[in-house]
Amino acid sequence: MARALSLYVETNTFLQKLDPMVKLLYILLSILLPFLILPYRVVGLTFILISCLLLLYGKVFKKVLPLLGFSFLILISIVIIQGLFMQSNRTPAFTIDGLTFYKEGLLYAWTLCIRVLDVLLAFALLVLTTRPSDLIQSLVKRGLSPRFGYVLSSALQIIPQMMSEVGSIMDAQRSRGLETEGNLWTRLKAFVPLIGPVVMSSLLETRERAMALEVRGFSAIGKKTFLFDTEMTLLDKILEWVLGILLLISIIVRIVWL
Amino acid sequence: MGKKSMWSLSFSTPVLVLIPAAVGINYVGKLFAQLLKLPLWLDSIGTIIASMLSGPIVGAVSGAINNIIYGLTMDPISFVYALTSIAIGLVVGIMAYRGRITTLWRAIVVGLVVAIVSALVSTPLNVMFWGGQTGNVWGDALYAYCIAHNIPVWLSSFFDEIVVDIPDKVATVVIAFVIFVSLPKRLIQMYEGEETLERLD
Repeated sequence: MARALSLYVETNTFLQKLDPMVKLLYILLSILLPFLILPYRVVGLTFILISCLLLLYGKVFKKVLPLLGFSFLILISIVIIQGLFMQSNRTPAFTIDGLTFYKEGLLYAWTLCIRVLDVLLAFALLVLTTRPSDLIQSLVKRGLSPRFGYVLSSALQIIPQMMSEVGSIMDAQRSRGLETEGNLWTRLKAFVPLIGPVVMSSLLETRERAMALEVRGFSAIGKKTFLFDTEMTLLDKILEWVLGILLLISIIVRIVWL
Repeated sequence: MGKKSMWSLSFSTPVLVLIPAAVGINYVGKLFAQLLKLPLWLDSIGTIIASMLSGPIVGAVSGAINNIIYGLTMDPISFVYALTSIAIGLVVGIMAYRGRITTLWRAIVVGLVVAIVSALVSTPLNVMFWGGQTGNVWGDALYAYCIAHNIPVWLSSFFDEIVVDIPDKVATVVIAFVIFVSLPKRLIQMYEGEETLERLD
């Protein structure tokens, strides 16, 4: 049985026990507050610092690095491109090999780095310390339709199953003589015979899956109950209120000031 | 019996199980593209097939859920690009409902429209998060050339995105079309609402 897809790390700290809604609110705050309260970079850096400390506390900091990988490459290219070519570039900062980097471009790239890291780390906090099924259950409790809750958790289960078929389809088609290496056109032509079987089987399965669900009362009318009933702790509630009020205050402050 | 309205918000059970399958197909498409070392993403085939089968709303929901799942399991920044996936689902759903994607030519035209729409939606997100870059080497090289020649950032960023999107989205829609026409009729009917699944309540 393929394991459900997830980045969750079980380290049993306070963060893992925290209600997912609190973490969602934290993400919202860390995205919005830097825009609401000027100066952007100071607030953004503060959030990055808070996220880093929380990630360290949750013993998941090492797991963040692979998540940063792809973004990191783009950020480096942003520093180079904006530093060299940004249109408002006026003041030279330094020169390497005849290439002049400008202050304005570097400052802009620095702002972007803060923005990306801010969002990425806040999401990492949620993703690394929350079991996807807990997040979905928490959303369903807050009014998400249980049918959509099912869609989300079903996707998390189906994906590893479908991915596990990839290797055997590739082998099967190769043994029938399908060329999967060579020039671009050859490789492109191989794509349809490879993905075709997965698509067909998964779509045909939907029919049976739908019937199996109906037989088990999926569309039954009435209140759904939960298999694992979790209560929000007092601390969860307090944190939720604090973050909510903080957001509200900064929105009001922003409106009054401008 | 006539077709269901394009904007119907009622999600029958077959439609609800179609959504995870669509997300799975997106994942598998991306994986095969990587295994074959293709210079394309091909990561929205499932969303497009779902839109062709049951319309814009289901396509949009599949797109959104795709990025939510991807954000939860692979790359958190993907949450932000859910907007692009929603737009792709809507566009294909509307065009499939109105015009019936029946020939390869129409599939190519739909692919071009999808590319333009997806570039239009992605560009503001790219400018906001990446200063206009996409992370694709060719696109970013073009972007650097453009801003070095005083072309406005927004336009440069749009070019950056569209040069990547045109081949990718045209290939994606064409592949989805080729698969769609070979689907059994029985399956297509199930999603057109002509055959309702028997319910036990």
